[in-house]
Amino acid sequence: MGALGVSRVNRFASTGRRALAAFASLALLAPLGVIAAPAAEAESYVPVSGAGSTWSQNALDQWRRNVNQYGMRIDYQGTGSSDGRNQFKNGTVDFAVSEIPYGLKDNNVVDAPPQRGFAYMPIVAGGTAFMYNLKIGPNRVTQLRLSGETVAKMFTGVITKWDDPAVKADNPGLTLPAIQVVPVVRSDGSGTTAQFTAWLASEQSGIWNNYCAKVGRATPCGQTSNYPTQTGMVAQSGSLGVSGYTSQEQSVGAITYVEYSYAKNAGFPVAKLLNKSNFYVEPTAEAVAVGLLGAKINPDLSQNLSGVYNNTDKRAYPLSSYSYMILPTAVEGAFSEEKGRTLGDFASYFLCQGQQQADALGYSPLPINLVKAGFDQIKRIPGVDTQNININNCNNPTFSTDGTNTLAKTAPQPAACDAKGPTQCGTQAAGGSGGSSGGSGSGGNSSGGGTTGGGSAGGTTGGGTTGGTTGGGGVVEPVVDPVTGEITDASGGEVVIDEATGEIVAVGGDVAVAETGGGGGYVAGIPVSTQASAGWGPYTGLLLAAFTVLLALLFAPPLVARSLAARRAGSPGDDSTPSGGAT
Amino acid sequence: MPPGGQTPPEPRVLTTRRSGVDRAFRSVSGASGAMVLIIMTLVGLFLGIRAFDAISDAGFSFVTTQVWEPDGGNFGIAAILSGTVFIAVTAILIVVPLSLAVALYICEYAPRRIKRTLISLVDLMAAVPSVVFGLWGFFFLQNHMIGISRWISTYFGWIPIFSVDGSDPDDPLSTATVFTSSTFIAAVVVAIMVAPFTTAVMREVFSQAPIGEREGAYALGATKWGMIRSVVLPFGKGGIIGGTMLGLGRALGETIVVALIISPIFIIQPQILQNGANSVSALIALRYGEATPFGTSALMAAGLALFLITLVVNFAASSIVARTRSGASTNE
Repeated sequence: MGALGVSRVNRFASTGRRALAAFASLALLAPLGVIAAPAAEAESYVPVSGAGSTWSQNALDQWRRNVNQYGMRIDYQGTGSSDGRNQFKNGTVDFAVSEIPYGLKDNNVVDAPPQRGFAYMPIVAGGTAFMYNLKIGPNRVTQLRLSGETVAKMFTGVITKWDDPAVKADNPGLTLPAIQVVPVVRSDGSGTTAQFTAWLASEQSGIWNNYCAKVGRATPCGQTSNYPTQTGMVAQSGSLGVSGYTSQEQSVGAITYVEYSYAKNAGFPVAKLLNKSNFYVEPTAEAVAVGLLGAKINPDLSQNLSGVYNNTDKRAYPLSSYSYMILPTAVEGAFSEEKGRTLGDFASYFLCQGQQQADALGYSPLPINLVKAGFDQIKRIPGVDTQNININNCNNPTFSTDGTNTLAKTAPQPAACDAKGPTQCGTQAAGGSGGSSGGSGSGGNSSGGGTTGGGSAGGTTGGGTTGGTTGGGGVVEPVVDPVTGEITDASGGEVVIDEATGEIVAVGGDVAVAETGGGGGYVAGIPVSTQASAGWGPYTGLLLAAFTVLLALLFAPPLVARSLAARRAGSPGDDSTPSGGAT
Repeated sequence: MPPGGQTPPEPRVLTTRRSGVDRAFRSVSGASGAMVLIIMTLVGLFLGIRAFDAISDAGFSFVTTQVWEPDGGNFGIAAILSGTVFIAVTAILIVVPLSLAVALYICEYAPRRIKRTLISLVDLMAAVPSVVFGLWGFFFLQNHMIGISRWISTYFGWIPIFSVDGSDPDDPLSTATVFTSSTFIAAVVVAIMVAPFTTAVMREVFSQAPIGEREGAYALGATKWGMIRSVVLPFGKGGIIGGTMLGLGRALGETIVVALIISPIFIIQPQILQNGANSVSALIALRYGEATPFGTSALMAAGLALFLITLVVNFAASSIVARTRSGASTNE
């Protein structure tokens, strides 16, 4: 780490301007100490541009901000995977990010690979989640469970009401209302859509092909990047578009497919999806890591996910997948060796240290075999600094000494109440005799500031009533009273609703959470209230100053112009319409 | 002062020797004028050539088909073009009364002190980027428009264009999403964006209403409103029409606002309050990135159709404005 620090100082000092920044970042960099010392020549980085996936954009944006301190400027446009692949093909961007590779057949057209040299490199794993906005009375549902078949039927217009028997069968603990199911899909060409429809085509092919025939597509229609819509569906552009629409107040009844991190950012719940072992699982980092143990990686590193869909591990999330960066492997068009060096350093950063943040951002870190394979791909970028990176210093939570995936190995087993059957976590157990109660196992949103993890106190089967507390997360609305969990023993088979807080309250406790002590992160994405403002900080002042400048910019020019005109005219009454002079 | 002589007066031949500066100015301004025409022609040519593949493949069905699956060979602009027109016309119906009132207030009623400020503020609205309007419309306005949409559909649902399938005022569980992402909401935001342009044209024409006729009207005992009705509005008729047409041209081509708000559908849906709308420019914005070469050609064909319509609207507008600006209607 010493060597790194010194080399950093040299680099920054040699550019002269950044000596101060170097001192500031020295302390920050020292413990990370992974990007190896570059060669003695210390040119500054050149800007690199990319485009593509919004699925993995949240992670990529965070990494881009992180490497800013090293002087790397990475421009990234989240315009959708299809657009990213096309732009890379046309040479307008230096790299693309996509969930699916080139060469796949979409609506009978093959997406031809580009002429320029390219390689796939996995960047992060994640789960395609089903974010929903459902209320029972005034209370938001946060414990929804769905089987694959139910999901497929919802997104193909077969199930149109939330109180459909199929949904009820998945959720024995919820009294579902007769609200219309509003599937929210992507209106632009999207890798998320491709992932979702690939799963539909593989696992629910009957339902999916029927739908394709209904909307006039050739069957069997396989995966597609453009979701075919019909009346009753809502289509929005971009991951932010669909998650933003779903989280709006009026969108009760909406459900959408989107990467888990968007639901996490919006503070909205995602459905637990039924896996092959008949457990309902959420797309947490652990569940995704377990699910992806079933992925088959092709020689070009692209993924074959049928093993993930059919992973028989109880903890596996079936809709897990990797996102890919498409790297250039030749100096062509606008791509140069300098850009290659910048891109290579950026990729080394996020393959190594960047993975630590994956969980907090709503993704799942890459396992060691893919990180190693990724580094091999980086070496193919022209102009890249071949760095001797000690992969063990990456602090990647999946790494272990024996090559197994630690994150998957230590993933908690699903709670017994998450098994398919008459019980449902977070709702009143049918016919429960005792006053079983417990804190709603609402794990704190670990990405938010000032989170106090969800209290999973209670969970006892006695008559005790214990409240869990939901700490402040970084999520804004809807506001939930911080003291939830006031539970009474209600009659069997009904959802217990906390009148004071307006949240559906877990009854019966999240036993597994209590047992494993794994509290936080079990159920993320539950709306929590923000902490009280931290007071008058320097940012508040800056914000006010910026606001004042904006107001001045808006109003000063007309006012100045007026006073100038008045002074020049000298006499009152000159400020009239042009017709005034026509007498 | 001509010299009084015997020779019959012969008109003097005027020759102008233009200085170098004059010549330079004339050629530069002439070239820029020509450049506009050349660019427009080239854009049209480009669209025509790129669209040829798609149009020749689809033939006449391009105008009548309501589906957009170019790669499946089944595509047409019937739904998209009609959607564009629905959004634009709705926006214009909102913007005309609004702009008319704003222009009249600024010209006739506003106190002198605030007149300039008002003008600058209205012009400032034109400077706000459309993506800002779009985000505002999507994340803020949409939620607040639902009440209005629901009220209209509840009480005027018997008029076909205001009916909304799936809304039942008697059912508290009926979803509000049927009112979102509609033609109406997109049109409201587009109207707000177009308003500064129409207002500017109308204001300009109203301010040119001849003072003599204004005072004549007053002299005959007209009230202020009477004067406006009998002098300003007839005089400004051309400006009102021209401003409206200019606004229509802009509304037809508005892209990012529409793309952000609507939920694209591919059927002709004149129910403006109902979820689902479409427009040519939004379709191009959403689809060009990932389109195959043939898909791009189909998008170009849609663009060509929009280009022609917008051209017609704008020519109509400019000819109307040009005819009235001269003040020829003063003596009507």
